[in-house]
Amino acid sequence: MSRSLRIAHLYPELLNLYADRGNILTLRRRCEWRGIPVEVEEITAGEPLHLSRYHLVLLGGGSDREQEIVARTLVAGRTEWASAVAAGLPVLAVCGGYQLLGEYYELPGGEKVPGLAVLDLHTVAGEPRLIGNIAIESPVCGTIVGFENHGGRTRHRHEPLGRVLAGHGNNGEDGQEGVRHLNVFGTYIHGPLLPKNPRLADWILQTALDYAGIAADLAPLPDELERAAHEAFLARRITSEPARPTGLRENSAAPRPRPYTGKRR
Amino acid sequence: MFGVWIGKCTAFLLRLAGRRATSLPGRVALRFSPRLLAKLGQQLERCIVVTGTNGKTTTANLLAAILRTEGPIVHNAEGANMTQGIVTALLQHTDWLGRLRVRTALFEIDEATLPQVAPHLPVRIAVVTNVFRDQLDRYGELDGTVSKLVAGLQQTEAVLVLDADDPLAHHIGITSGRRCAYYGLARDHAGEPQRRQMRDGAFCLSCGEPLHYDGYFYGQLGLYQCQNCDFTRPLPDFLGRIQHDTIEIQQNPLPRMRFQLPTRGLYNVYNVLAAVSAARVCGFNADQIAKGLAAYQSPVGRMQVFRTSPVSVLNLVKNPAGCDSVLQAVGAEPGDKVLWIAINDQAADGRDVSWLWDTDFEQVAEDRRIQFIVTSGMRAEDMALRLKYAGVPVDRLRAVPDLEAGLEEAFTVSRQLGGLPLYCLATYTALYPTAQWLERSVSPVVPLTAHRPSVS
Ligand SMILES: [Zn+2]
Repeated sequence: MSRSLRIAHLYPELLNLYADRGNILTLRRRCEWRGIPVEVEEITAGEPLHLSRYHLVLLGGGSDREQEIVARTLVAGRTEWASAVAAGLPVLAVCGGYQLLGEYYELPGGEKVPGLAVLDLHTVAGEPRLIGNIAIESPVCGTIVGFENHGGRTRHRHEPLGRVLAGHGNNGEDGQEGVRHLNVFGTYIHGPLLPKNPRLADWILQTALDYAGIAADLAPLPDELERAAHEAFLARRITSEPARPTGLRENSAAPRPRPYTGKRR
Repeated sequence: MFGVWIGKCTAFLLRLAGRRATSLPGRVALRFSPRLLAKLGQQLERCIVVTGTNGKTTTANLLAAILRTEGPIVHNAEGANMTQGIVTALLQHTDWLGRLRVRTALFEIDEATLPQVAPHLPVRIAVVTNVFRDQLDRYGELDGTVSKLVAGLQQTEAVLVLDADDPLAHHIGITSGRRCAYYGLARDHAGEPQRRQMRDGAFCLSCGEPLHYDGYFYGQLGLYQCQNCDFTRPLPDFLGRIQHDTIEIQQNPLPRMRFQLPTRGLYNVYNVLAAVSAARVCGFNADQIAKGLAAYQSPVGRMQVFRTSPVSVLNLVKNPAGCDSVLQAVGAEPGDKVLWIAINDQAADGRDVSWLWDTDFEQVAEDRRIQFIVTSGMRAEDMALRLKYAGVPVDRLRAVPDLEAGLEEAFTVSRQLGGLPLYCLATYTALYPTAQWLERSVSPVVPLTAHRPSVS
């Protein structure tokens, strides 16, 4: 296998509020562990962006101020984005990046910051912020878990990434979380998103490999730790909220899942 | 005065029960007398506030040691830095008639709490240590932290003592419109950026352009300037130069002062600089400062050493910049070692553990002298996963969520490897239980072995 999977990480200096490096690291490692060559290019805000070079584009989230800088930069390339997405370019957009994919983001004052408009989606600023642990059910890759923290309420006309099991999701009202359209994945879930959700990570990787025309077999990996983190999150943070602190044994009555390694007791 | 009574009774009962009374008495008192903070605060003659992301507790404790050379002070010493903790500290020095017996107060205050309490206190001096990414779920976003700090400071008449090397602290100084005194490190301590730097301060908050750095101290701290506007690192009023285990501080046109550094690590040098600068602004002389620094005792969770067997060193971690500094300090310690990392996600820890992925755990993976790592806490598995993706081989890694079982495991491994020192890192809510457990493990009353089941 000579060709490598090329991933673009857009504007990491501006959009890395929610540990998107964790998502990149997960994609990179899961390729490396399978012997698939992978290159990640970090694109900074001033650089030209040639979407046709890449097999997967990652767009993260930043603070409002930084996100406006990015929106201004991106909107100039709307046409290129529209044709790339229509041609099946895989995109993973998290939090602010997810909002940027839509028609606009409406600020509290009513002003609309235009987005990339590659999706029939819009976001309206709201109060309070929707913050907390979240779990959703995806028809394709099962449960997805993580953390959400967003003021914006997002609505769209596409398939959601999943159905909310616990948490707020796109707008706290319609029980939907994220978006999935063509090869675009958008979500408010970070924490970051991919390490604890290896099935989703592999789904996105497979999508990118197919798009790249790389005939790679995503062999199963020893995901014991990934699954343990996923399961522990569900057990301690979703099923048993509000949980108590893990303190000294005598004053900790929190349900304590068995450790996944070690032979203690 | 009912609130005062209730609060003092609560504190008394807690102490009787052998518990720490750091914020509960204040919380109970405030429920009965919501205006208690204002009532007690107006009896103070001067109040000094320490805020910022990292180094608050150490800076405040250093400054407290200096202030105490002149007499007793009110001080929320144990990091209880929200409104209840401040009221609890005031109650300790209040008599049953509601009269405050001490006139000087030194408060470490959480950034988000500052706007709520500042109007009720006669704040004369406010130290802002730095602004790093911290607990996003509580404050929303970083810009929010900066504006909360500015809003809080503008409600006071305080002289600000700020880190010149931190562009965000400098920005706060400019926008607050208050009188400012800056401290910073000498240029020759600056180096190339180490690994990837935290980028929170990498943009000019005045115009949005990227900041240019001539050199870095650590994280975003460095010799910065904006290429587009006149925002540039100010010339420090208090300039620090490290020489072995002493620090020389230059305050023109006065003769240079030299002090023994009472703590380890570069981030602690900044804390000493901040405390000494604030003490100078307060009018303390070099002799008083030297005496105060000598009396300082390293607080819980700052390279705190326990005479366990093998020896253990406890550190508080809570955000990427702070945790990177701790990891660097641990890495600088000689010899092979074992790590135990406890991550909880209660409100006080930050419920979002994204920050683990912004922390440079790659340096742990690359350090061949770290032989084994046990992770514990509510997020033991997340921490283990982070280390796996950082490159730590899974056979050198074990997750044991229960704190006590995890500590036992880590000590067992340490002893199996020939008695390697154990470096413990814990988030806030895991810190005190851990400190207590380690303390009990050195107690001669309870033999060390009684805590540990045999190795199976
Ligand atoms: Zn500027």
